[in-house]
Amino acid sequence: MDFNFTDEQKMLRDSARGFCEKMSPMGYVLEMEKSEKGYTPELWNAMVELGWMGLIIPEEYGGVGMGFMDLIVLLEEMGRMCVPGPFFSTVILGGYTLLTGGSEEQKNEYLPRIAAGELVFSFAYTEPGMIKFDPSHVTVTAKAEGESFVIDGTKLFVSDANVADFIIVSARTSGEANDKKGISLFLVDAKDPGISITQLSTLAGDKQCEVVFKGVTVPKANLIGALDDGWSVMEKVMLYASVGKCAEMVGGSMRVLDLVLDYCHQRVQFGKPIGVFQAVQHHCANMAINLQGSKFITYKAAWMLDEGMPATRICASAKAWVSEAYKRFVILGHQVFAGTGFMVEHEMPMYSRRARAAELAFGDAPYYRKVVAQDLKLG
Amino acid sequence: MNFGYTEEEEKYRKRLNEFLDEHMTEEIARQNWEDLGVGPEAREFSKKLYENGFLGLPWPKEYGGGGLSPTYDFILIDELGKRWGAHVPLDVGYTMTGHTILRRGSEEMKKEFIPRIIRGEIEFGLGYTEPNAGSDLGAMMMKAEDMGDYFLINGQKTFNTESHYADYHWLAARTELDPSKPKYKGISLFIVDQRAEGIDIRPMITMSDERTNEVYYDDVKVPKSRLVGEKNKGFYYIMEAIDSERNHVFVPARLWPIVDEMITYVKETSFQGKPLAADPDVQAKIAQMAIELEVAQMLADNARWLELNELPMTMEPEITKVMISELEQRMVDDAMQILGLYGQLDEKSKWTPLRGRIEWFYLHSFMPTIGAGTSEIGRNVIAQRGLGLPRG
Repeated sequence: MDFNFTDEQKMLRDSARGFCEKMSPMGYVLEMEKSEKGYTPELWNAMVELGWMGLIIPEEYGGVGMGFMDLIVLLEEMGRMCVPGPFFSTVILGGYTLLTGGSEEQKNEYLPRIAAGELVFSFAYTEPGMIKFDPSHVTVTAKAEGESFVIDGTKLFVSDANVADFIIVSARTSGEANDKKGISLFLVDAKDPGISITQLSTLAGDKQCEVVFKGVTVPKANLIGALDDGWSVMEKVMLYASVGKCAEMVGGSMRVLDLVLDYCHQRVQFGKPIGVFQAVQHHCANMAINLQGSKFITYKAAWMLDEGMPATRICASAKAWVSEAYKRFVILGHQVFAGTGFMVEHEMPMYSRRARAAELAFGDAPYYRKVVAQDLKLG
Repeated sequence: MNFGYTEEEEKYRKRLNEFLDEHMTEEIARQNWEDLGVGPEAREFSKKLYENGFLGLPWPKEYGGGGLSPTYDFILIDELGKRWGAHVPLDVGYTMTGHTILRRGSEEMKKEFIPRIIRGEIEFGLGYTEPNAGSDLGAMMMKAEDMGDYFLINGQKTFNTESHYADYHWLAARTELDPSKPKYKGISLFIVDQRAEGIDIRPMITMSDERTNEVYYDDVKVPKSRLVGEKNKGFYYIMEAIDSERNHVFVPARLWPIVDEMITYVKETSFQGKPLAADPDVQAKIAQMAIELEVAQMLADNARWLELNELPMTMEPEITKVMISELEQRMVDDAMQILGLYGQLDEKSKWTPLRGRIEWFYLHSFMPTIGAGTSEIGRNVIAQRGLGLPRG
């Protein structure tokens, strides 16, 4: 057993921490929430310079060839400073989908350009009818016509479609709405005239969109993975995405705890720093318990994914627990900061708004409890 | 990072499980837990554990141990826990006091006690708490007067859980009687024959039908050789041992039987023609138990890893303790809700599900958030020692 990061990972963390603090202070994050695009080319290009876009992409496709645990280190730091932009959509969703299901041609075509920071990806898998989270609920259709497929229907809550060059879309090629079989994945040019994109206005100020497909024609070569078997790719990508999201939440928790502890030493009431009061200490202790638990379950899940072990249950456990721990965590943070933390220009709301968004992303706690129950052979 | 075990360790686990399949009964498991108290079966089992090579592996070779990593003892405790066993039968000596003897005891004391602890032959009763010294342990008043050749001990202890079957009392008593001296610097540790003349042990029965004890000392003479380490350092010895003790005592694995039993129950029990296992509420409850246990296991693994590598522990074992003691209450609550009306039946009743184990667990679950330090004291430790917040 070894709970240490490697020296390489520690170096990556240190440099990422400095970078994120410099490039993504609160003022910038709040400004980007309001902006149309959600990030600036300066930030994106600086991340490209550091090689982050190619971190998990194998060297043969122009990347750095590091593992998922290395990416976790990075995501923690990005989550810590709420770094905006389509990094997650491009690298985790785009990258892992291509790595998991892409043909050799597709990998050669797109992965080097992702690594070089030339392309932005978006992953469209959620739909208006998905009243409860269930990625097998796919009603967008893809019909074979000659050498092409024609895609019709509406996707909703699609992150970063507004800035994407390519959208990976889950579409039904056979079966009924909730059948896992019969879902296929397609790579679609986001600038296709049959696609219309409308930005939603969200709690966390992140860029989620409605994406409507009307008679969008894609060549058969753009099918990712086998026809009717997109689920097996999505399932794997969802594991990476949910654990990656956990890492962002862990990073956010680390930052909030630092801020809270500083405040406990500085804020004086009844003639004493509030950190001496047991009611406040117990809030902080509860935050520490939630943070430690979140960290280690996330690392365990990432490690099992890296080792190629069966990881469904651990990833589901991580996303279920961390999502709820982070919500508990920010409530406690708000209690310690009290009125001052309720102000829009305070850092605290940045994290409490994201805690909700992060729970909802890639499946909430009730969804993942169902996944765990299935793994325990219940039902 | 690496969260796996070595091939050797996994081999040991496999061999251990084969042994437990054959020799571990629910009777023994419940004697290991305090609810029945250690009897002849658990003592016999303890010896068998040793004879089959499962006790003492991490202990120093010069006292009869195997000189291996403490991981082996953690595996042993985990596997016993998964079978309702909670810990080794004579666990105060094996997981707590034995380690302090190794750290602080004289050579003579080590030679006298460690080999017998490793062989699973002797047990200690913890003698810390007093009527006016609970969370504030430093306030203890039990008096040990230095009489030249021996110590003369008088006073009262309470909640000394193992004393009625233990061979030795691991006693903390005040050796500095000058009230102007700091209270933490006047306490010493002793090993006392639990059956010595002048000791009176009286039962106290808990709500979960476990026995603990009041222990009265009336002019008990304890030889100087039974002072552990240096005089007046006892409080510090207790504190330096506490992290490792938590790592050995608050073990998430011991809650797995609740999940396993509940899975069996909901699969075998039907309501309106459908197994309970198909009910989404039941599924969510049991899944949450498994999820939280997974998290608790990681917290425990982290604290153990720090201990194995002799890295500083500040709040980690305490976090595990607070987490799993409160988790036990949440789990038992969910389990009781799933059992419905039947959950209130105890093991003596007609119609009792799961041999009454969940009903017993409900009663027991009030203890871990109190015993060995309340959750509130635990949170003080996490905040002050772990997070560096100031003392009030």
